[in-house]
Amino acid sequence: MNEAVTNLWSVPLLIIIPILTAILVNLLYNKTKAIRAISVGASIAVLAIAVLSPYGFHWFAGHPAVNSDGTYTFTASVFSWKLSLEYYYGPLQQILIGLMSLLLLFTVLIATKSLSKNLGPYLAIIFLTYVSAAAVLMTNDFYHLWIAVELGSLLVAGLVASSGTAYAQKAALKYTFFSALAGSGLAISLGLILGLTGYVNITDAIHFLMSNDLGGMYAVLYVAFAFLTLAWVYAGGLVPVHPLKSDVYRSAFPHGTVLLQTQSKLMLVAIGIVMLRLFGSLPFATDVMLVISVLTMIFGVVMALIQTDLRWILAYLIVSHSGLVTVGLSLGTYRGIVGGIFQALNDVIYMSILLICCEMLLYFGKGSTSIKFGGGVAKKSPWLAAFAVLGAMAASGIPPFNGFQSELILLQAALEQGLPEVAAVILMVSVSTFVALFRAIYSIFLKPEPEKTSESYVGRFKMPDVVFISLVVLLSISLILGVYPQLAFSFINESALKVVLVPWVP
Amino acid sequence: MIDAFMTVAYLMVVGVTIGAIAALLQKDLLRAAYITGAESIALAFLFHALLAPDLGLTQAIVGTVLMPGIIILAILKTRRHEESD
Amino acid sequence: MIEISLQLLGFIAATVLVVVGIAGMLYLDNLIKKLIAFTLLSDGVNLALVSLGYVQGGIVPILEPDASIFEFPNEAALIFGPGIVLTNIVIGVSTTAILAALIVVLYRRYGSLKASKVLKGDRE
Repeated sequence: MNEAVTNLWSVPLLIIIPILTAILVNLLYNKTKAIRAISVGASIAVLAIAVLSPYGFHWFAGHPAVNSDGTYTFTASVFSWKLSLEYYYGPLQQILIGLMSLLLLFTVLIATKSLSKNLGPYLAIIFLTYVSAAAVLMTNDFYHLWIAVELGSLLVAGLVASSGTAYAQKAALKYTFFSALAGSGLAISLGLILGLTGYVNITDAIHFLMSNDLGGMYAVLYVAFAFLTLAWVYAGGLVPVHPLKSDVYRSAFPHGTVLLQTQSKLMLVAIGIVMLRLFGSLPFATDVMLVISVLTMIFGVVMALIQTDLRWILAYLIVSHSGLVTVGLSLGTYRGIVGGIFQALNDVIYMSILLICCEMLLYFGKGSTSIKFGGGVAKKSPWLAAFAVLGAMAASGIPPFNGFQSELILLQAALEQGLPEVAAVILMVSVSTFVALFRAIYSIFLKPEPEKTSESYVGRFKMPDVVFISLVVLLSISLILGVYPQLAFSFINESALKVVLVPWVP
Repeated sequence: MIDAFMTVAYLMVVGVTIGAIAALLQKDLLRAAYITGAESIALAFLFHALLAPDLGLTQAIVGTVLMPGIIILAILKTRRHEESD
Repeated sequence: MIEISLQLLGFIAATVLVVVGIAGMLYLDNLIKKLIAFTLLSDGVNLALVSLGYVQGGIVPILEPDASIFEFPNEAALIFGPGIVLTNIVIGVSTTAILAALIVVLYRRYGSLKASKVLKGDRE
């Protein structure tokens, strides 16, 4: 493990480059070529940094604890007091942020291809959404966590509203109104933890909670947990707010939804890990999280089954698969956490494939993705149909693809904990995903086209090269992870072990 | 001296409470926006009394100028009176 | 007059603001009223956080040049809550701005500020 002792150069760059790009692109406003060059360059730069960066810390204030012999202490075995705002970049951050940077690149390419009006502000919002998720993943202090979640929720509203339909604006308004509750709850939770422990750094706070007897103040910890759960539920669109979040997924542009769902799943992972580290030892804490996740899976999948529009089906499936991510985390065991994080990774990949296919359908089909509409796309664009079918197979957990591997781990983790009913729900999600997706895909792609509605899909479809390349890359990642899941495990294992064994280490 | 201070604090708490409820009961939205500004002044004083004078200053500026300003702008772009039906 | 501390007074006012804010956001029909209720809610949260840091008989947590550095930690009010509040005020302003923009856009579309009319759950 090559952890840098000094402040890491790469971590602030991962935050600053997208922010600067957002400002620049926003100023350029409508100069499409310049915007395209700058934003593609920035996303490639961010991807390169995420891949090349070494692991280590970055301190915004404060410093690592120094021993009497002049060495630094932030090893796993020794408690260290840092008293600082700190970012940590480790293997988990590397794989998740790397994947998100790749998706950012594809999103930017597709957005610059398919949009022409108000491109600058739209791309600025996309870049800032990336920043919010990256900051939540890397941060090891409550302050940045809170700010990034608040920023993220405002940006979701912006990204949704910029798609311009009345339904999108209503969804954005409702989501922002609810952000008042969730953001205030997160602020109060943060205030309570700060008041209880006195440390803004998560490592220091856990150290304090472990080494001091809180006595009667333990109840305050429960209140803090409740408010943090509210923020978690809100950021990821779990059960009480799933109607709001599915509206949001549905009404943004599909390529915007690629980044939206990535953001919310990474936030689920990051905040979930913080909750496990802080409150994992509280009785009932993981049970509450487990109940929320199971309800999310059931509601999402049931709603997905009764929809008649591919975009709605995908929106509800994303919600229900968020439940799959959190069910792994909330089991609280090593295998569960590995399964949850791996599921988040796979989910982001195969849902992006399906969403990009959906974008192409909108592009060709003049705005409709309803089941009752058209048919016979497979004849006009065989590649698109192939990608959609393969993506749907990955999503419903069919063996050669990545969805199968993570769902297998989740099933094993649930059975290990003696929870066969949770395992049954996970299986149900997998099967219902298959049914819901193939119902839509059959009637849109595979069914022969009715003769009369010739104006619906005209002629032969030619996919833009950018879309084709991104679909090929995503699908090959999906296949590689499905055949060699060890590639991802080498990144995830260490973080999951740390959460279980040494929760104070980021 | 302390008593006078506490009395003012009581008054400000009452002011915040009445201001909050009055702002929501107004039919005239513009007047409701002004009342939130007045409520913010009472809140700024409470911040000051609770040993956070820096926040009191910030709240006084933001709460009396910026927030009502945004709300008034929104009202000017839409309509001033609540719809009756 | 009943003797209660300033901290408790702050918490009472904060509770009133939060309850009035949430009730207003839930039950009022006018979108601008909902917006005003949101600002009240965020004010209430700020007041609760500031009250959290109050120390009875304490001093303002700013180190004067001639103050004793040893007495300061014992006397000064806690800065944890207030440290967050400054950011929360800014977040409140930006959220208000976004909400106001969305309300204006929706008003242009529907010609009404009634939430029951504008936010009807129809799907395109």
